[in-house]
Amino acid sequence: MSRNVAIIGANAIPVGRHQTADDAEIQVLEHEIMTRVIIDAVNDAGVEKRDIDSLVFTLPRPYTRQKYFHTFLMGQLRLACKGNVMEVMGNGMTASLAFDQACNDIMLGRADVALALGINMESAVSAAEHMMSSMRTTGDVDFHTSAGFTPISWYAMDATRYMHEYGATREQLASVAVKNRFHASLNPLAQYRKPITLDEVMAQRPIVEPLGLFDVPPRGDGAACLVLASEDVAKSLGKPYVLVRGRGFYHDGSHQISDVPNNMIAFESVRLASAAAYAQAGIGPEQVDLAEIYAPCTIVEILVSEAIGLVPEGQGARAAMDGETRLGGRIPISTSGGLMSRGHPAYVTSLYSYVEMADQLRGRADERQVNNARYGLTSGELGNYNAALVHILEAAQ
Amino acid sequence: MTLEIIEINAERSYPPRTSKFNKPFWDALSQGRLMTTACKKCKKLTFPPKTACPHCWSTDVEWSSLSERGTLYSWTRIHAAPAAFASEAPYSVGIVDLECGIRLACQLVAPDDLLLYPGLPVQMVVLSYKDGPLFAARVLSAE
Repeated sequence: MSRNVAIIGANAIPVGRHQTADDAEIQVLEHEIMTRVIIDAVNDAGVEKRDIDSLVFTLPRPYTRQKYFHTFLMGQLRLACKGNVMEVMGNGMTASLAFDQACNDIMLGRADVALALGINMESAVSAAEHMMSSMRTTGDVDFHTSAGFTPISWYAMDATRYMHEYGATREQLASVAVKNRFHASLNPLAQYRKPITLDEVMAQRPIVEPLGLFDVPPRGDGAACLVLASEDVAKSLGKPYVLVRGRGFYHDGSHQISDVPNNMIAFESVRLASAAAYAQAGIGPEQVDLAEIYAPCTIVEILVSEAIGLVPEGQGARAAMDGETRLGGRIPISTSGGLMSRGHPAYVTSLYSYVEMADQLRGRADERQVNNARYGLTSGELGNYNAALVHILEAAQ
Repeated sequence: MTLEIIEINAERSYPPRTSKFNKPFWDALSQGRLMTTACKKCKKLTFPPKTACPHCWSTDVEWSSLSERGTLYSWTRIHAAPAAFASEAPYSVGIVDLECGIRLACQLVAPDDLLLYPGLPVQMVVLSYKDGPLFAARVLSAE
């Protein structure tokens, strides 16, 4: 039994520094934000509280004091459900998995309406302290973390290798940050909206060479809710919606690094995951109108743009510099502003990708609207794109 | 032949754990030998050492030496470090392809004036901290 899944509603708070320090007199409480986001998303969809069958939450950060946050929220909203209520976790892929699981419930007939949602609060914890946790996620905690590897250090090594193999320049990488900041300047949900120049990106202090401050993601908090439904429900509402047309997943059987030498910057998992998603959707990369890529660093957007076939191998950096991936260009990428400028509240980051798609493919993206956008692609990942989850979405009336 | 042992007058910032299984690795490393596990069935090496062969899933593995020389595949210098590594920052890390066909990642040891880039030869070394060893790669000048 399988049915089409539609996105019928979305809501999110602007990404930013919302989390309060432990000693602040007035605290920002996660459930107070989340209840409002849920209600606004469900109102956007035009369905009723009683229609909701499943809720798939992203795991909150360990800094969130309320434990069992998902079932606590059910109590806050007196929301009874027959499908599923759960929290999912998969590092950077967490939000993609929440979306995917909500789709599953609809496809399996367990739910006619399902929410994919979550909140990620971490910005009041310093980067140096937060990295004490995140350094344990990317690699072998005994054999790699002991050497001081951090999550983005692996992407930095991708950049070094890419520049070595293809002669790409730092300026070309930096152009991705400039382009995404321009997109973010048009997005009310973006964390950083003031346009920046190539010179400004180049002048930032190094974080992980060759990447500087504007090549890597900022810290931020966010909360978002997507309302998904069977296509029958979506049609009955009489408004534009977004159909999930294809889905692909691949894990390459390595964690961060393969001890059998491979082409580390080929991002094989997202190549294979996107190929599966394209096949299911019955389209090719040339039919994609825009892509929201999980790309924590400038280099990652370049490598993924190549791996998913939107740009030829080795041409991603040049294409970005030439404006091909900018709004109005041949294939706009990260029209939300991407992880560097829209922001990167990690466990909910991909929810913001689907929010952007819900706006773009329902024709509600205002100044950053991609004209006549029909097909959009999203990606989520683990590690150094050792695993990828790709969805292809289509505008529907 | 054993690896160069570089004495470091400090403790490791985030010490690795020793298990009954991996103790021979750390013991050998402290004596200047870089070891890993090899599968007795399919003969493949893997790194870090593992209790089961990841290729054929045989649990019949034995200790074997890794080659001491290799090539730098990529590298970065970390400026924004976790709290435990703050006093070491900036520090260089890299990915190394050893002659025996194993790829690993470790800290790099290189003179400040050496411009690092992929393809440079490396020689594995031992960093001997007060509380135990770590493995690292010394980057050599192009030949």
